[in-house]
Amino acid sequence: MKVESFINDLQSVPWSLVAPIIILSFILMVIAFIDCFKHGRTNGPQWVWILVIVFINIAGPIAYFIFGRRND
Amino acid sequence: MRLWLILFKKEFKESLRNFKWLWIPLVLILLGIMQPVTSYFLPDILESFGDLPEGAILNFPVPTAAQVLAETIGQFNQIGVLIIVLAFMGIITGERNKGTNVMVLVKPVPFSTYITTKWVHMSLLMISAFLLGFLIALYYTFELIGTVPMSHVFKGMLVYCLWLLFITSILLLFSVLFNSTAAVAALTLGTTITLSLLSSLTPKLMAWSPGMLVSHTFRFFETGSAGDGFWLAAIITAVIIFISLVASTYIFKNKEVVSHTT
Amino acid sequence: MSLILTEALTKTFNGTNAVDQIDLSIKEGVCTALLGPNGAGKTTTLNMLTGLMKKSSGNIIFDKRYSGDRRKYIGYLPQYPKFYSWMTGEEYVIYSGQLGGISKQEAIKKTDDLLAMVGLSDDKRKKIAGYSGGMKQRLGIAQALIHDPKLLILDEPVSALDPIGRREVLELMKTLKKKTSILFSTHVLHDAEEVCEDIFIIKKGKVVVEGNLGELQKKYQKPTIYIETEEPLESWSQSLKDIEWLRHIEADNTKLTITVENIDVAREYILNNTGLRNLNIKSFQVAKTTLEDLFMEVTK
Ligand SMILES: Nc1ncnc2c1ncn2[C@@H]1O[C@H](COP(=O)(O)OP(=O)(O)OP(=O)(O)O)[C@@H](O)[C@H]1O
Ligand SMILES: [Mg+2]
Repeated sequence: MKVESFINDLQSVPWSLVAPIIILSFILMVIAFIDCFKHGRTNGPQWVWILVIVFINIAGPIAYFIFGRRND
Repeated sequence: MRLWLILFKKEFKESLRNFKWLWIPLVLILLGIMQPVTSYFLPDILESFGDLPEGAILNFPVPTAAQVLAETIGQFNQIGVLIIVLAFMGIITGERNKGTNVMVLVKPVPFSTYITTKWVHMSLLMISAFLLGFLIALYYTFELIGTVPMSHVFKGMLVYCLWLLFITSILLLFSVLFNSTAAVAALTLGTTITLSLLSSLTPKLMAWSPGMLVSHTFRFFETGSAGDGFWLAAIITAVIIFISLVASTYIFKNKEVVSHTT
Repeated sequence: MSLILTEALTKTFNGTNAVDQIDLSIKEGVCTALLGPNGAGKTTTLNMLTGLMKKSSGNIIFDKRYSGDRRKYIGYLPQYPKFYSWMTGEEYVIYSGQLGGISKQEAIKKTDDLLAMVGLSDDKRKKIAGYSGGMKQRLGIAQALIHDPKLLILDEPVSALDPIGRREVLELMKTLKKKTSILFSTHVLHDAEEVCEDIFIIKKGKVVVEGNLGELQKKYQKPTIYIETEEPLESWSQSLKDIEWLRHIEADNTKLTITVENIDVAREYILNNTGLRNLNIKSFQVAKTTLEDLFMEVTK
């Protein structure tokens, strides 16, 4: 019963509208992740930023670019 | 002019390398998609809560296209501006605190060139990102909700860009005045929020204020024509932008490039 | 004609004069050293010459032939150069050249030569973020030279370098001074003596000794005698105290250093002195004081 309604819910999600949001936020995460990894110079420990980027959707990568990345 | 372009290119290249030209437009595009989609599904979402009394749905009609565009601008104006201000709070302060400006300003570079290339670059990035995000929002709104005459949209965006330029110019001024990036961000955000709030609370008193430009933008979306006091606010904003730029250059020129020797 | 003249140049920080009424004259085609201990005001002076700091009072006069924005004619290496570390060394020097007013093609070409000259050819495509302190110092010299300045101002160019790097940069300066005038600051007299003709010794913001190095050496060199004996000579040395040709005496157990007016009279007197002979002379040596002694003396 539960599973059925879950599948129903899934089907009712308008994927054509939501997909771009998911894809773009994923791209944002990947860019931030690769940059954090390669650039390597962060304010505070790098591994914390990696976690922030990967686990906090959209806001994580933004926070990394604004506060985490050392642009000098 | 040749020198101006050289410094401008450096700003551009720097922001390509630190991904500002990638992530800021991307974030604005995300915002631009999310707002119309949320507006479109808001009635469904509210319905799915289920606890609402019968008939409550009727109180949440799908908004008009012009309203959705206005809401999008509203989002941009909060989250978008916050992000841009934080991303550029070190525009002058950053190089000054690191000392990287020394070997540039010891070369025959006019101080006005140093200042204006940074301002133009920041404004260009901000406006590009906002326009890109807004174009996406426009597409989604037209697809999901309805259309607004393009001429209305165009005029509204033009007015909104003036407000954005106002923000970048006071950001520049604060950045020249203060050495702390936190102070620069706080003052810029404080000024824009105060102006916006006062303008929406007492529109009569604040008719002159740059803060009115956002509501003028909404009005252009709705009607395509200027509301009362639009020209006053627009001209005053343009004058403030100009004065900020001149003052920034003047103050920058008269400040020590190097203030301590260690 | 001086390339730069300063008249009573002064810089005041919170009421104290970091640079106090300094009169400098930097000649064209000459290497000039600004010598002084830490905190003497060297960096402050150079910053005022380049225009990075505003003077509190006094004048800076640049040769009339080089009118207009004086930054065009100056190449500057700060004491602690800070670069855009997202650029490569090569990009940075090209950028500096363009800022200095030369075309991109010319900048590219000269950058190649300059980076080879300072020994950075192998690393020029690396990000500056990965450069060591010594590499940055060399890069700093390259960026200062790229637009062919009339005057090269170097603030402690060798302080941050290891002995080999120091040697190389000093040799480099010797080559450079054939083409351009150099003004550099240092707290090591030896560096100044090696490459410079003119010197200004400053202390607490004031010039205490200035002039041509050769002339100063002649003027301040005094004959000195070093004596070593087997027996302690301190009590004997008391007997020299009142002799009129003696300028300075320093005794330490079996060792004695004296500075004298006239070396011949002094040698005659000392070698014939029976009191000293009885102490069994181990060595007797005649030399000359160096500027180092003067430097130590005036900056004490
Ligand atoms: N911003 C400032 N405020 C107050 N005092 C300052 C400031 N900048 C420099 N000073 C003082 O001015 C004096 C001269 O400093 P300066 O850096 O010019 O000396 P310097 O000869 O270059 O020394 P060093 O060999 O350590 O580089 C010092 O006593 C320093 O403490
Ligand atoms: Mg110094």
